[in-house]
Amino acid sequence: MNAEQIVEAVLFASDAPLRAEEIARADETLDEDRVEDALRALRSHYLESTRAFDLVEVAGGYQLLTRPEFAPYLDRFDTVPRTSRLSRPALEALAIIAYRQPIGRLEVEYVRGVGSAGVIRTLQDRELIEVVGRGEGLGRPLLYGTTPRFLEHFGFQSIDDLPHPEELPVVLRDRSLPLLPEEEG
Amino acid sequence: MLRSPAASAERDTDFGAAFLVEIDRFQGPLDLLMHLIRRQEFDIFDIPIARITDQFLAAIRGIGTTDLDSAGEFLEMAATLVRIKAQMLLPRPIDAEDEDPRAELVRRLLEYEQIRDITARLERSEADRSRRHAKGWVQPRQRTPDSDLPLDTTITEFLEVACGITLPEPIDTDHRVTPRTVSMEEKATLILSRLADEGRIEFARLLAPFRHDPMHGVMTFLAGLELSRRRAIHLQQARPFHTLWFIDRADAPLEADQEPFATMYPTSDEEARTR
Repeated sequence: MNAEQIVEAVLFASDAPLRAEEIARADETLDEDRVEDALRALRSHYLESTRAFDLVEVAGGYQLLTRPEFAPYLDRFDTVPRTSRLSRPALEALAIIAYRQPIGRLEVEYVRGVGSAGVIRTLQDRELIEVVGRGEGLGRPLLYGTTPRFLEHFGFQSIDDLPHPEELPVVLRDRSLPLLPEEEG
Repeated sequence: MLRSPAASAERDTDFGAAFLVEIDRFQGPLDLLMHLIRRQEFDIFDIPIARITDQFLAAIRGIGTTDLDSAGEFLEMAATLVRIKAQMLLPRPIDAEDEDPRAELVRRLLEYEQIRDITARLERSEADRSRRHAKGWVQPRQRTPDSDLPLDTTITEFLEVACGITLPEPIDTDHRVTPRTVSMEEKATLILSRLADEGRIEFARLLAPFRHDPMHGVMTFLAGLELSRRRAIHLQQARPFHTLWFIDRADAPLEADQEPFATMYPTSDEEARTR
């Protein structure tokens, strides 16, 4: 049994992304580096052998996922789990929270110009955001931040996969950017 | 920097032309304001406040009293606009470091626009991710510890029940994938090809050739909803149980591609409010 096979077995049996150090728990002969090596080998192996799935880095972990071009075939089956997509308002609120976390409900509402208690609850129920602390202001408002599920839902490796300000076409480039977490201080 | 208000002599003499907007279509006051500015190609850094204020007020005139929260949001913006309009009319000291009264509004609009842009990108990432599937996952069964269940049964009761039992057929627990008899993708393709020819089509007419099987109706309807959600087509129904139209995105009414969903269904915010 070589390392590659063990790692493959663990990934195959898992329904969620696993980090290298989690995979290493499978056997005493494994450590994070050996797992990383095995992951690299597996990935190129899958690519060469034109499998219908490949090894994807998601939310800081690794997962076997089918290649996108097979979606039309899988969509014909009821039992293939389908991820439900978020509504526009929910995505808007999530975008604001992702960039300005930790952030309270009132600030989200100020940016959107509309009440957001409902969408924030939806995002919480779907475990895309969570309460990460309390603000200083009146009533010590709850502050929200994104969760690892958020990264998984959008297929991001880390929060850095969000579009950077310099990629955004809006004129804000040369102005102060109130959206960026680092400018929050 | 923002130009001084004096430089932007505002002419709202030509405001008289009918300026109808459907308020329900907008997600909030910033959305409506942005629409008014974009539609008339105004410079966002030099918004003709008097004109925009009049148009905004005209647009929200018909706003219902059924949804007070949402009415409040639009009215708050209206008040802000009126205040800015008044400030623009007042003479301001020339030396002033004084900010243009519109500055905060412009900042909010730009920020809102940027959020909209990020939202569109998130939507694309979400769609890309949804095209990849992980291994199927089945929720593990909940187990109640035996010790939690008190026993209160006599042996006679037990025997009576035991004799009455007919053993059920063993349940097939294999994870099995079953194709639908009518595929939604086929229906989606059908809808799109008919729309490419005709621009718009009634739901009932799409079903005409398949009267024998109600499944066709269900899948055509689901395909319609799915396409509308992907913003590929626009759905229109004048009132409940009335003719349901599938409309090609290109033929849809103004800006229908922007928010076909919001026009038909309450957003979750609105749902929350009605609770």
